[in-house]
Amino acid sequence: MKRILIEYEKCDGCKNCSAACMQAHRKTPGTIYDLDLTDPEHESRNRILKDAHGHYRPIFCRHCDEPECVKSCMSGALCKDPDSGHVFYDETRCGSCFMCVMNCPFGVLKPDTMTSSKVIKCDFCVNAGGEPSCVKSCPKKAIHVEEV
Amino acid sequence: MNQCYGCNTCKSADKPLETYIAGLPMETSHHRVDSQSTKCAFGLQGVCCRLCANGPCRITPESPRGICGANADTIVTRNLLRAVASGSGCYIHVVENTALNVKNTARTHGEIKGVDTLNRLAALFSIQEADIHKRAEAVADAVLKDLYLPEYEKMALTEKLAYAPRYERWKELGILPGGAKSEVFHGVVKCSTNLNSDPVNMLLDCLKLGISTGIYGLVLTNLLNDIVLGEPQIRLAPVGLRVIDPDYINIMITGHQHSMFTFLQDRLTHQDVKDKARKAGAKGFKLVGCTCVGQDLQLRGAHYTEIFDGHAGNNYTSEAILATGGIDAVISEFNCTLPGIEPICDQLQIKQICIDNVAKKANAELKEFDFDSRPAVTDEIIDDIVAAYQARRGHVPMNLLPDHGNDNTLTGVSETSLKAFLGGTWQPLIDLIVAGDIKGVAGVVGCSNLTAGGHDVLTVDLVKELIARDIIVLTAGCSSGGIENCGLMTPEAARYAGPKLRAVCEKLGIPPVLNFGPCLAIGRLEIVATELAEALKVDLPQLPLVLSAAQWLEEQALADGCYGLALGLPLHLGLPPFVTGSPVAVQVLTEDMKTLTGGQVIINGNPKESADILEAIIAEKRQGLNL
Amino acid sequence: MKYVIIGAGVAGVEAARTIRGLDPDGEIRMISADTQIHSRCMLHKFISGERDGQGLDFTEKDFFDRYRIQWQKGTRVRQVCPDRKEVVLDTGQPVSYDRLLVAAGADSFIPPVGELRKASNVYGLRNLSDAQAIVEEAGQARQVLVIGSGLVGLDAAYGLLERGMKLTVVEMADRILPVQLDAHAAAAYQTAFEKEGVRFLLGRKASEAPCGPDGRIHQVILDNGDTVPCDLVIVAAGVRPALAFLEGSGIACDRGITVDASMKTSVEDVYAAGDITGLSGIWPNAADQGRIAGKSMCGGNASYTDTYAVKNTINFFRLVTLCVGRIREEEGDQIHIREDRTQYKRMLVRDGRIQGILLQGNIAGAGIWQYLIKNRIDISHIQKDVFDISFADFYQTDSRGSYQWNV
Repeated sequence: MKRILIEYEKCDGCKNCSAACMQAHRKTPGTIYDLDLTDPEHESRNRILKDAHGHYRPIFCRHCDEPECVKSCMSGALCKDPDSGHVFYDETRCGSCFMCVMNCPFGVLKPDTMTSSKVIKCDFCVNAGGEPSCVKSCPKKAIHVEEV
Repeated sequence: MNQCYGCNTCKSADKPLETYIAGLPMETSHHRVDSQSTKCAFGLQGVCCRLCANGPCRITPESPRGICGANADTIVTRNLLRAVASGSGCYIHVVENTALNVKNTARTHGEIKGVDTLNRLAALFSIQEADIHKRAEAVADAVLKDLYLPEYEKMALTEKLAYAPRYERWKELGILPGGAKSEVFHGVVKCSTNLNSDPVNMLLDCLKLGISTGIYGLVLTNLLNDIVLGEPQIRLAPVGLRVIDPDYINIMITGHQHSMFTFLQDRLTHQDVKDKARKAGAKGFKLVGCTCVGQDLQLRGAHYTEIFDGHAGNNYTSEAILATGGIDAVISEFNCTLPGIEPICDQLQIKQICIDNVAKKANAELKEFDFDSRPAVTDEIIDDIVAAYQARRGHVPMNLLPDHGNDNTLTGVSETSLKAFLGGTWQPLIDLIVAGDIKGVAGVVGCSNLTAGGHDVLTVDLVKELIARDIIVLTAGCSSGGIENCGLMTPEAARYAGPKLRAVCEKLGIPPVLNFGPCLAIGRLEIVATELAEALKVDLPQLPLVLSAAQWLEEQALADGCYGLALGLPLHLGLPPFVTGSPVAVQVLTEDMKTLTGGQVIINGNPKESADILEAIIAEKRQGLNL
Repeated sequence: MKYVIIGAGVAGVEAARTIRGLDPDGEIRMISADTQIHSRCMLHKFISGERDGQGLDFTEKDFFDRYRIQWQKGTRVRQVCPDRKEVVLDTGQPVSYDRLLVAAGADSFIPPVGELRKASNVYGLRNLSDAQAIVEEAGQARQVLVIGSGLVGLDAAYGLLERGMKLTVVEMADRILPVQLDAHAAAAYQTAFEKEGVRFLLGRKASEAPCGPDGRIHQVILDNGDTVPCDLVIVAAGVRPALAFLEGSGIACDRGITVDASMKTSVEDVYAAGDITGLSGIWPNAADQGRIAGKSMCGGNASYTDTYAVKNTINFFRLVTLCVGRIREEEGDQIHIREDRTQYKRMLVRDGRIQGILLQGNIAGAGIWQYLIKNRIDISHIQKDVFDISFADFYQTDSRGSYQWNV
């Protein structure tokens, strides 16, 4: 499967990847110039956290080999696609129980800020041709897609 | 869940304030620190350039130059020069307005409250006018004339005000400033797109702007203010949120231009105006100090005991001051008036009035200060504030913090009041330094920010470290507001000092931290330093004197810092000024500066380590003087 | 190889899926009383009318075809006969097996109070059939009494609110959701339900429940003598493993079927998974047990090790709560609390290890807490506010880019 790999030592915390993710998941058409960066409808699937020493640690969905989110999904909304290996989320099936949030050991998943009714989850930019936007946006070239 | 806006507020050195802000139902800057904690490293290092349409360009291993070819050194120093020019512009704006107010006061035969200062400046400027008002007007004109000179004509007063050895060094370095306003213009031009790319050349311009900022924006603003507002007198005064008395119509003042408030201050004590307050149900009017103009008022508080309640807090205390509900109006004329106070003012129906359009706040009414129409505009302002008081009191919840702060902060310290306190000569202080009872002097100056450990955290911790090492601390700026609210400027704070300094403080009944007031008073510290150097017959860099702008915040602080470097003083900063992406800038600021001016930048965010470094520098300087 | 699976809940479904993955040629037969695959965690959505029965299906649309599974639905098993290696259906039909998985789940427990067990208008909420019956009753009912304010009781109340019922909830404890929440977090939900008109009677239990001549309960009398009139009673007082049909099978049972780590029972070739084992009552664990059982049944080596089950998420009225580990404080615990207008967080720490956490209002990225708690990770060395700890503090990736905990 293809996975997003990150050379996290290179991360400078510029949040370009988050802005790109927001742009990729916006509801209305437009460019990065007119993206409303304050609208929680556009919330990013990835985020940059810091460890106690202030080092940046990018938290991106790994589309795990044995995804705990899928294992804990009681509605069938989360599935590991047998062909691509990616974990996809079907908002229409989701029961909003958030057991996936509780079970993702890496703290990647979260409920949506606006309605607490769906999960904010990386979709590998499958609607944009499966070429994740975050990868292209990184000025440090720290994010890659590789076959693993 | 409860009513608190957010449980993730940043730390404050002022623990009661920290608790108070954490419990507020509205958002403050302290709440936003957390969500802004992932900082872009390109920005932090100063290597993001947005000067042209090809940008933003950022420096990475794969892209060591912007599209235009600018490398990290060029990008960083260009950004720094922009910031310094902008900061200088701010202070020059302040001195320009102050000089105009002195001139207009003199022209209209208004009250000259600081005759000694006037005479001191007149003598320095070789002005021999017998009439006091003509003398004052001539002094103001001399300052204004310099400010308006072109960049290619050196300002005349620099040599009269600067310490001679310094002036000579600046001349050698070619950094004597032309007209102060023109120098800002020159700096802005220099750092625009595809002009200067020489990092050292731009850094020298920063020093030049530092000189014009320091001598005019800082030193002269203080002295001009003293002429029309009165000279500082040492006294004990209350500080903190306790100063807010809800029985009065309370006006919080923010900014840096004390002379703009003279007329209002006096008017608020007139019987007909007091009657307006009484009719509205209040005992009268009070001004509540906030930011540097509050510090300025506190400094000269001896002249304004009737109208001034005391200094409540610094820039990042302003939201808390408003949140008490006890403030009915904010009058602002400059920074540091945070945009974040606007929603709080809206929510609590606090009237916002701006009297200088450079600092017009979005929801404030602009009542621009104009000397000739002062009486009418001032009465309009007063009527608006009375109306706000009547509309809001009784409807807006009160959330006072009457125990916050203390009642006995030593204030009113200036180059003249301190010297007078010592018996009219610096000799007692020099003797204490020579004897080692006072190891050295640290000017802990500048702003307050929220990111160097939290609100005033590094500043207060560093001050405690310094005084514990018998280093006396002199303060100026918003740092003063934080330090005083934490109680370090009360005589009782002597117990935090090292044994020798403690004994000195207890003998004299003074705190180990002396508050010179607003950031403008960095100029007063410089006068003290210069007079000490004169007495010792040495140049400034030889003194056991260090500066720390531990929690510098804004561009003005960078211009101040450049003045400190031009004076040849070691300058400590808690956070780097967005320059670490440039090896040249770092080398020049932290090392080469020692041979250029004698100064150096020290960047360290740890209070203990910082104090160790500063103490070592003081020890080295003492050794140089054979002490 | 012939695999027979009793039960079509998540344990049975996961086992079947796993078996098919490992044994492409085996014959898989599932037998269930359920006539529709459904997620028990979503029954409230059926009651409220938000979803139909189909909408509760948690499997792929073509699940039985895709995995080539024969499904005998609407069928109960009367008996298991390990000596003959067959099960007997309630029709009397025998079904033989090589490997048997018992994943028949649990039944609602109706306490022996008054005539609750006898009356025709008393329901548990366990199966789609329960929800269907409740919806039908709700057509005529006006007043509903829910006994028990655990997750199931509140699910029922939540669903019925949409149908305009007048609801009373009786709870023995002094607060709702007493197992999952502390008083403060529970109060938030109580207020939210009360705002919608639900009445809570806390610290009370039903003491009498007389049947009328029509065989229905019209009022329940509480231990303080108060009377609660009702047209419909929903009992949410827990569940019991559905063991009745195993009598005489020789399969060892305690509270549930006794299994080893590979989910094997005391009897050769018979496995058990899900609620019938009594090991845990939550979805992810039942699913895990199903997968382990499936692997074991195919001869694989697998064991159920991630047994941690003290965890729950709650979502009513868009107020989300997560609770993991111990919530009740004990002497010597350090209690950390953070609270504001959008969230309430409470953590118990002892000897540098998190014992339990409760997050209400904001659970973004909260998956890390379960890992820290169940693995008893020492956090005392992390120089951060405890609530600011994140995976960043344990960040590590392997050569394939998978995250790993650096502990």
